[in-house]
Amino acid sequence: MITIENLSVAFDGTEVVKHVSLQLEDGEILGVVGESGSGKSVTALTLMGLAPAAAQVTSGRILYDDVVLQEAGRPCDKALYEKYQGARMSMVFQEPMTSLNPTKRVGGQVEEVLKLHTKLAKEESRSRVLETFAAVGLHDAEKVYASYPHQLSGGMRQRVMIAMAVILHPGLIVADEPTTALDVTIQNQIIALLQEINQKQKNAMLFITHDLNLAKRLCQKIAVMKDGCVVEYGTGEEIFGNPRQAYTKELIEAVPSRLKKRRILKAPSNMADEMNVGIPKAPSNMADEMNAGMPKASVNMAKRKITGTLHSAEQGSSILQVRNLSVFYQEGSNSLFSRNKKRCVVSGAEFDIYSGESLGLVGESGCGKTSLSKAILGMNRDIQGNIIHHSLRPQMIFQDPYSSLNPAKTIGWLLQEPLRAAGALDKSLAMTKADMETAAYDMLRRVGMGEKYFHRKPSQLSGGQRQRVSIAQALITNPGFIVADEPVSALDVTIQAQIMELLQQLQQEMKLSCLFISHDINVVYQMCDRIMIMKEGRIIEIGETEEIFHHPREEYTQLLLCNS
Amino acid sequence: MKYFGKKLITLIMTLFLVSVAAFLAFQVIPGDVVTSILGTEATPEREEQLREELGLNDPPAVRYFHWITGVLQGDLGVSYRYSKNMNEMMPVAELIGDKLPVTLWLAAVSLVFIVAVSIPLGVLWAGLSDAAHGRRGGMLARVGHILDAALGVVTQATMAVPSFFLGILVTYLLGIVLGLFAPGGYVSYQENFAGFLVYLIFPALSIAIPKIAMTSRFLRNSMLTELSADYVRTAYSKGTSKRRVMYGHVLRNAMMPVVTFLGMIVAEIVAGSIVVEQVFGLPGIGRLLISSISTRDFPVVEILILYITFVVIFVYFLVDILYRVIDPRISGT
Repeated sequence: MITIENLSVAFDGTEVVKHVSLQLEDGEILGVVGESGSGKSVTALTLMGLAPAAAQVTSGRILYDDVVLQEAGRPCDKALYEKYQGARMSMVFQEPMTSLNPTKRVGGQVEEVLKLHTKLAKEESRSRVLETFAAVGLHDAEKVYASYPHQLSGGMRQRVMIAMAVILHPGLIVADEPTTALDVTIQNQIIALLQEINQKQKNAMLFITHDLNLAKRLCQKIAVMKDGCVVEYGTGEEIFGNPRQAYTKELIEAVPSRLKKRRILKAPSNMADEMNVGIPKAPSNMADEMNAGMPKASVNMAKRKITGTLHSAEQGSSILQVRNLSVFYQEGSNSLFSRNKKRCVVSGAEFDIYSGESLGLVGESGCGKTSLSKAILGMNRDIQGNIIHHSLRPQMIFQDPYSSLNPAKTIGWLLQEPLRAAGALDKSLAMTKADMETAAYDMLRRVGMGEKYFHRKPSQLSGGQRQRVSIAQALITNPGFIVADEPVSALDVTIQAQIMELLQQLQQEMKLSCLFISHDINVVYQMCDRIMIMKEGRIIEIGETEEIFHHPREEYTQLLLCNS
Repeated sequence: MKYFGKKLITLIMTLFLVSVAAFLAFQVIPGDVVTSILGTEATPEREEQLREELGLNDPPAVRYFHWITGVLQGDLGVSYRYSKNMNEMMPVAELIGDKLPVTLWLAAVSLVFIVAVSIPLGVLWAGLSDAAHGRRGGMLARVGHILDAALGVVTQATMAVPSFFLGILVTYLLGIVLGLFAPGGYVSYQENFAGFLVYLIFPALSIAIPKIAMTSRFLRNSMLTELSADYVRTAYSKGTSKRRVMYGHVLRNAMMPVVTFLGMIVAEIVAGSIVVEQVFGLPGIGRLLISSISTRDFPVVEILILYITFVVIFVYFLVDILYRVIDPRISGT
């Protein structure tokens, strides 16, 4: 039994975990739910004795059965922890891609646990590792044993991590977002595996997640954390049925779900009049540029007269036509002697995006979603087939708001950059400095941020604010069509909900068409009119959102739906 | 295997290009070889005779062809400057063959020093800084902090000292004050190999000390970066001790950039440490290079250029192989 009593942890005097008390019985799974910065990971790391040196336990204590592992006012006892870690308590981390040592074979890495805590002979340890590999669902255990981490898929690596965690049947397993980095279908398998282990080995499990639904499905008890405090504690039913705190309610509501009502988007109106700030004023010669040096494919940026109302296209006219598109990927080799190999990552894609519509693109990692979007935006020119644009300069919103904004520039500068770029490409679009500034201020206001942010730098903004800036940057040239590549995946649920709402609102205001890429089918459900399912480079299903959700034709779509 | 084949072809092509460049460069550089050999007093007949002998009257393409086919057959040409005796010219092969072992042994001894000292030092240092700032704190933290800073200052100072000055210091302190070796008392490897090696220790120290400072600093930084990697946390979560984490998990991953750096150092010292050879009176490649350049002994310089090119490319080839040994993610294609 694990007891955390009144635990507070501080970094440099700032408390990040405040008076947390939790209790874990053997065989019980306790879910700790919270957003980033809520203190859930620090709690887990402190429990495991893995917290950074700067973290200080300022009150309370941690008990494992009757042994005091940590206590306020006493430094972390490393020798004691080294006996417990791996043998009696173990941890599964979020990132299976980086959590294993890349230069050691995985068999050896798991075996190290035995080497450290048992006196088993070499052969015995080896067979014990192979047994455990088989038990966590790694087929061909011998082959896995001799593999390096990079030779295994994400799901397999997470199984290896789990094997490492359970091999000595520890009394406590801490799982820190163990499925967040995995594809949905794999996620479910890993959850099932953890559940099975918990039932078999009867160990206590601390399951950390940001996903309330997942916690409800898996855990007997849930603790909701916010700003270092446990704000709600109870069974899944209690918390979902009768949340006591406003924050818990907010959290439950923010989770995208297909049980909730969907906003219907298609409501075209001539809103464009007021959007003339920063609009390209003349047809561009982009089509000619794009065609240069592309013998195999023709990308047409239609030359359209732009008058007062931009994109006055009647409803139902397409803004993007993709015909029989295949995208290739150069297998990197800078040798003088071998010709570069080409791999086809998208084959035979064919679809339309209609004016004012948002089309969702769903698929697991590596299915070709991003390759397809890059081809559409002309960032990958190694293609076959036709991409016909009926909008000018489509823009993109990227996934990671932390690295996609230049940290050295101010928000105002970043917002004006697309206008400057457009002006540089086409003299007739050049704007005066004052006009650009006005446009930037206006856009900032539209994405719900005050003028005071104009002179700030990205590092001074939160994740949600940065993503607002990214959106503003994409929309400032009034592109008519945008590609949003997982725009909310890196954000906390409550922020995610706000950004989704903002996108929907802007889409209506600006009568924007959107290709919305996501791995999360629930997010797409709320955002999109139609959905396209992609698997292994092919579009396997495309249809109206409701239709796909209620009558999926393909087996794979059904799998995706029931796994999320 | 295919990989090695490719590398070999690249090596040959580079050497070919460099040989052309080296040859052409000495055609363009002004100055008459014959005058510089015979002096200004020689008769025109004698000059013409020598010109014919050296093949200087042929067009450059023909001369390059003669030269390079000679080189390929092991005939590296004759030195303009040195002669065996009154009637015989000194073959370049013999000239370099005499001096090459000196430089190679000096490089080997230096490299042993560098690797044997800088790697444990780098790991220790990284451990100290990590204790001072890192994951686990405790008693070591304060001591670690002081030692970390001290090592920083010492290595910084060592790196900044020019090697000739270090050579003079070594000569003075170890040679004159402590009397560990006789300065200027070079023992030829042909006469007494053991004595030769003992003498080499001191120039090797002068070469190694600044490189040790750089390499250990480099390794320390690389290890500190690695220490914040996710797999290190995984290793700790298994109950692994810090020492085991450092040597068993982190060192190998941290060696990648260090290996590149060591390769650069090796290439540099195998090509000849001009200053140190000068200070310690070692008859090595570095000194030969300097004297050949200043006396316009072009056949020697050309061959030395090819030698240095070969050394650099070959060392990088070795570094490439080491990469593959260290990191399984780098594949053969």
